[in-house]
Amino acid sequence: MRLRTAGLAVVGVVVLLAAAEAVGRSGIAGPSWPPLTEVVEFLADADRRRTVVRAASTTLTSAAWGLLFGILIAGAGAMVGLLLPPLRPGLDRLAALLHAVPVIALAPLLITTVGREQTPTVVAGLGVGFVMFVAFSSGLGLSGSRSTRDDVFDVLGANRLRRMLRLQLPGSLPTVFDGLTLAAPAAVLGATIGEWFGAPRGLGVLIVSAMQNFQVTLLWSAAACATVLSLVAYGITTVLQRLVVRRVS
Amino acid sequence: MSRNAPTAAPEQLTVSRSSAVSLTGVSKTFSLSRGREVTALSELDLGVEEGEFVAIVGPSGCGKSTVLRMVAGLDSPSTGSVAVEGKAPRELAKEHRLGVAFQEHALLPWSSIWNNIALPYRLAGRPVDKARVDELITLVGLEGFENARPKQLSGGMRQRAAIARALVLSPDVLLLDEPFGALDAVTRRRMNRELARIWAEQRITTILVTHDVEEALFLADRVVVMTGRPGTVRYVHPVDFARPRGADITRMPEFHEAVDLLTGLLDAESVPA
Repeated sequence: MRLRTAGLAVVGVVVLLAAAEAVGRSGIAGPSWPPLTEVVEFLADADRRRTVVRAASTTLTSAAWGLLFGILIAGAGAMVGLLLPPLRPGLDRLAALLHAVPVIALAPLLITTVGREQTPTVVAGLGVGFVMFVAFSSGLGLSGSRSTRDDVFDVLGANRLRRMLRLQLPGSLPTVFDGLTLAAPAAVLGATIGEWFGAPRGLGVLIVSAMQNFQVTLLWSAAACATVLSLVAYGITTVLQRLVVRRVS
Repeated sequence: MSRNAPTAAPEQLTVSRSSAVSLTGVSKTFSLSRGREVTALSELDLGVEEGEFVAIVGPSGCGKSTVLRMVAGLDSPSTGSVAVEGKAPRELAKEHRLGVAFQEHALLPWSSIWNNIALPYRLAGRPVDKARVDELITLVGLEGFENARPKQLSGGMRQRAAIARALVLSPDVLLLDEPFGALDAVTRRRMNRELARIWAEQRITTILVTHDVEEALFLADRVVVMTGRPGTVRYVHPVDFARPRGADITRMPEFHEAVDLLTGLLDAESVPA
């Protein structure tokens, strides 16, 4: 059964790639859609590959820092809400508000405050932060659902902090890692978009400049690279999530 | 109280001053949707002496678990009062002087059995008394499974771990809500014999909620029969079998007479579902 699912997934990917190749070769989508083999050929050149890889490592660094800060801030926010219930509604609204503001509207503000170089990290962190805040909140049981374990902790006289450390935090891990599988690709996407607003380096910069100079294959190479990074991030976090579920359940 | 069954002698119902647990005139009303209400308990009086084992039996839905949850400080009465050693149950919980085991073992799946049994020390902010945890593991017969995780054990072993966790801090009051309710009949009888042995060594004031009359008679000093909803005390049956009790008492005619009597009372109280 598992083998069959994996087989179907591989078939799906192959069909998709073949379709993209066919569209590129036929030219029905115009000159801005090259055949995928052309993109692969483009990247076969060592110098060009170095350009894309250097840009990708910058984006990856921004994404990683954004992911880290996003997780830490979201986790801290959710824990504050857990320990100090009166603050909960305010924190929820703040998270929703930050999420509702379009990145494009925040960009000028970020450039003038944190600067062009840090904007990708902050944009990545904002995307991650909201997803992780929701994941932490539901994992920690801020919605108020109770189990027999809560009853046992009550009868044993656990205070809020000990309940959080011994029951709620370990119990939240599957949900938090579930959130992480969404947050990690979101961090790559956020960093790439954050680079559009005048960052000096990165895949986002490569995409914008390739687009403006009509370097179609470079544009596609950079986009493909960002996609691969996202997929790898998703793959790694999915494996982590499975390991965590096995450990805590 | 004028139904065709023996009535309780008044002195068994009155709450004496030395009661470890006392419920006085307790009623509990739950609100349902659209403003409807259901009265789970009505004017219930019950006292449990220090070092006494009281079992509460009653038809399903009679509110016997609610009684236990009130003594545990998890629910509060709508009217009347609940006191454990003269204090509000929640105060005792805060002082880490209550032990509890539910039908669901509620062990932490990410912790080993040893750490699960040591948990009450950590929740109380006290250093873990390793010798005491080891002693409890021996007492409930889980030697060799200290490092196992709950999901690796059988249902009966998990319940034993839950009972060890309830006992580890030597609580003043032990509360058991159908702790063997999810076990098969054979395991359940074995667990009852083990609980009787453990209890005989510790003599902790205990309230057991069960729907199993034989279990109640085997373990308790007094069996309280509750009426159907709204629940209140219907009859109190003193149990005089000498301790330590073994499987032999379940074969005595007195045991069977008591089972018949209490089962008859329960059947009369059960409303057809």
